[in-house]
Amino acid sequence: MITYEFSEEQEMLRQSVREWAAKNLTPRVQEMEKNKEIPHDLIKSMAKMELLCPTVAPEYGGSGFDAVTAGIVGEELGRADYTASTAVFYLVQASWAYLFDKYGTHECKSKYIPPATKGDAFIGIATTEPGIGSDLANMVTTITPNGNRYIVNGEKNYISGVREVKQYGGGHVTIARQNLQAGTRGMTLFFLPLGLPGIDITEDEEMGREAISTGGFHISNVEIPKENIIGKEEKGFYIVHEGYEFARAIIACVCCGAAMKSLENGISYIKERNAFGRPIGKYEGIQFPLAEHYTKISMLRDLSYKALHMIDLEKEGKASRMEVSKTVAMAKMICATWAMQAIDDVMQWQGAFGYNKECPDQAAYRAVRSFTLAEGSKEIMKTIVARELLGKEFITYR
Amino acid sequence: MITLIAEKCIGCVKCVKVCPFGVIVMKEKKAVIGDGCTLCGACETVCPVDAITIERVVKDIDLTHYSGVWVVAETEGAQRVKNVTLELLGKGRELAGLIGQSVSCILLGNNVAKFADALICHGADTVFIAESEALSRYTAEGFQPVVTGLIAQYAPCIVLFGATHAGRDLAPRVAASLGLGLTADCTGLSILDGLLLQTRPAFGGNIMADIICPYTRPQMATVRPNVMKMLQPDVNRQGTKVVVPVSIDASTFRVAIKEVRDSCQTGVMKIDEADIIVSGGRGVCTNGGFALLEELAGTLSGVVGCSRVAVDLGFRPKSVQVGQSGTTVSPKLYIAVGISGSIQHQVGMKSSDTIVAINKDPAAPIFQIADFGIVGDYREIVPAFVAEVKMNGGR
Amino acid sequence: MKVIVCVKQVPDTSEVRVDPETGTLIREGVPSVMNPFDQFALEEGVRLREAAGGEAEVIALSMGPPQARSALMKALALGADRAILLTDKVFAGADTWATSLTLAAAVKAAGKPDLILCGLQAIDGDTAQTGPEIAHRLHLPQVTYAEKIMLDGRTAVITRQTDSGYEVVEVRMPALITCTPPADFVPSTPPYSAITRAKKKPYEEWGVDKINIEADTLGLRGSPTQVKRVFSPPRRDTGVMLEGRSAAVIAGELFQALAKEGIL
Repeated sequence: MITYEFSEEQEMLRQSVREWAAKNLTPRVQEMEKNKEIPHDLIKSMAKMELLCPTVAPEYGGSGFDAVTAGIVGEELGRADYTASTAVFYLVQASWAYLFDKYGTHECKSKYIPPATKGDAFIGIATTEPGIGSDLANMVTTITPNGNRYIVNGEKNYISGVREVKQYGGGHVTIARQNLQAGTRGMTLFFLPLGLPGIDITEDEEMGREAISTGGFHISNVEIPKENIIGKEEKGFYIVHEGYEFARAIIACVCCGAAMKSLENGISYIKERNAFGRPIGKYEGIQFPLAEHYTKISMLRDLSYKALHMIDLEKEGKASRMEVSKTVAMAKMICATWAMQAIDDVMQWQGAFGYNKECPDQAAYRAVRSFTLAEGSKEIMKTIVARELLGKEFITYR
Repeated sequence: MITLIAEKCIGCVKCVKVCPFGVIVMKEKKAVIGDGCTLCGACETVCPVDAITIERVVKDIDLTHYSGVWVVAETEGAQRVKNVTLELLGKGRELAGLIGQSVSCILLGNNVAKFADALICHGADTVFIAESEALSRYTAEGFQPVVTGLIAQYAPCIVLFGATHAGRDLAPRVAASLGLGLTADCTGLSILDGLLLQTRPAFGGNIMADIICPYTRPQMATVRPNVMKMLQPDVNRQGTKVVVPVSIDASTFRVAIKEVRDSCQTGVMKIDEADIIVSGGRGVCTNGGFALLEELAGTLSGVVGCSRVAVDLGFRPKSVQVGQSGTTVSPKLYIAVGISGSIQHQVGMKSSDTIVAINKDPAAPIFQIADFGIVGDYREIVPAFVAEVKMNGGR
Repeated sequence: MKVIVCVKQVPDTSEVRVDPETGTLIREGVPSVMNPFDQFALEEGVRLREAAGGEAEVIALSMGPPQARSALMKALALGADRAILLTDKVFAGADTWATSLTLAAAVKAAGKPDLILCGLQAIDGDTAQTGPEIAHRLHLPQVTYAEKIMLDGRTAVITRQTDSGYEVVEVRMPALITCTPPADFVPSTPPYSAITRAKKKPYEEWGVDKINIEADTLGLRGSPTQVKRVFSPPRRDTGVMLEGRSAAVIAGELFQALAKEGIL
């Protein structure tokens, strides 16, 4: 049985981030939601708190967080920003900078990671394509070696942070097919700065988390240097999962933060709100779901940190790749659903106000909804868990 | 008992200069403490070689010879006596009546003897007057030795200070010099079994505590302004004035005042003395918002206060901020306009007699402590209320 | 230059609730924080150390139960060089008189500081007494209600609040200053690197044996003031909401209500 205990440093960091967020983040969420933008000075303030790409080594501007510590920040941002926009900004960048840092070349890393840690660039992930969600083997984007350089062609969509990259610089960890005959075994991972000529960005609107952008881009004959290749050529499919797993585990923490905060909002509401002569918190119809949600979110929280702890253990060779994948998938499979169920009930308790735009919980609901899909849908998570239980010969898509 | 160890004395004369009662003299290059020492401790504090020590018996002594309720007066320079002093005299009379003792007042300052009659009218039997140019503005170094000396000499049973900035600077210093307990920011005083029962809020006003000082005398407290009721002045009251000769040399003070920036004019009512306060918060921080409140305050002969955010945003000076990091007030009427009512704000105004809250957010916590709550736009409510007051002939 | 900053761990009073049945404080689940006034004092101390340059040191000093360590760890993360926690059963239950005795003795034991900085008051007790009492015990001049401190050689130039505004005072060090944050003060939140650095800084816990004071003058036994009773403040009557009518009508109702209570 793997257990973990937060260290004194981690508890201090949680407290510090909570205080930082109470002063600098939560009071601005409404403004961010309205302007559909995370203000740059807030991103700079996150940088000052060392919350950007925090797992990266100090020589590239990071703080060398382990995965559990990174999860603590995710949970706190999930609590503090009910649109989850800053949480998404944080977790996407943290996860892909983590992978980039682990497998990228020194030349490329030292060019793009330090500005991102300072809040002057964004690092995202680009895998999804039109018509291709989880089925990566059928993607159209290709990368072709051309002397010392590589030519990229194709299209990506539903990508977080496209406007942020346009605004501040940076780029996306991108995957494309290199050996067209080999399916997922011929894919290459590389860093694609979106400022290069030949990239045409469009933005979409989403139902929630309004302050961080989503969009897509056409890539037409874009040239990148060899140093931008992340890991070995044609091995991209195998390493991209490490980034995903990191992101999925942090998403689970973000969901815990959002759901717990919402339950706390609910608790104060049901203690005050009277119906038929008593606070509605006195009714079992309210108490039972409260107890159930609290229990589920507490379990989810334990599972989420366990998953992150296993990512840390894997680095020391104390946990296997398969165990990590399975534990992360278990947490990610349920996190958004359970959080939504909890937030949904908190909205319901508040009556018509729960459906009002002024109610933070409805914004949290819309935000958390995205996590049933983002970084691997909950259905894919189930196939991963089933794969580990049944064996590889039962993989659905083979 | 005061002891001067002659072997240690280096003849620096610091103690001679600092003694407010002028009883230390130099003999053969050594300081000698003469008759009339009040044990005020000024010399002990400045002696660089610890040649002077004062021993005070703290516990298990006969407490019966301590008698009298004392109030340490506060004035605004030579302009006027602060209300809090008159309120304490009123309360002091009540307490003195319960224990069969008299009320005295210590009046320190420069050119303040003229206030002695007013203090007697408001309840003092005796006024100790110590005047010196060095006392024209409050300083801990100027005031503390005189107050300590008088207390040590006359042994009162109870000493009350106003819980003002000056009072909260002075009282703990006096308490430490005499080895006494001190209860801060009292909102209630009464007598229980012959002891002073001191009631004060704690934990941000979430809880109240009754404090006693059974084994030391005098029993000392600072008391919040505007909580106690002053007596109607009685011009026929008779009292004794005792002039305390002091010689204080401000050049011996280690803390030197270099600049004074009074944001409120002297003579104008301070926020903690006002009985009606119209206070504005975030909701009023727009152009012309506070002008409406000024008008309302003017109509009601009150003053305008504010929450912290109005100071942060530069709409009002810090001196009128109500709350934990500002001033604690307890007026008869507190009108909170556009103030949500954070716990920190509530701490500063919760003990107001009547609270009116005007806010557009029905969920604002201020409504939980308001006697009258109005959900709406203050830009409509305030002018309508001003018109209503005027129509009824003002306050 | 040596600066000693006294800090206190306090329950976050904005989270304190009173049990409606028993009228007692619910301390369960109430987070403990560094007293906000003390955090300002500490950050001023760190700033002054930077400004003074040379051999300068900031010591964070606290008295409290072992859990008060977390306030001192925060002080270290905010830049203090070392921390001392006075923790001993005999210190418990102290009023401000006994607290100042303990802290003053600890200051002596920690070596002669040039400056002692305290928060003006702690948000749990709000007494503002401990600072001046320490100053008196150490025979130091005091400046209370300081919002801004500048150093000019051995002289501290302080802007302090008064009842009527502000005054600027000068004091030669050593001195004790109690601090209150100005309106524009934004408390720092230490990032992870500062937190990991804090863990490596010297941290000591001192019992009564370290400070050379007789135990029976300390803590509850040494406190001249005694808490006789604790009770919840009288509940205000439920207020009246004036709503659903025009501003003029509501204004009229309010006037009548206030007139009836004899206020207007």
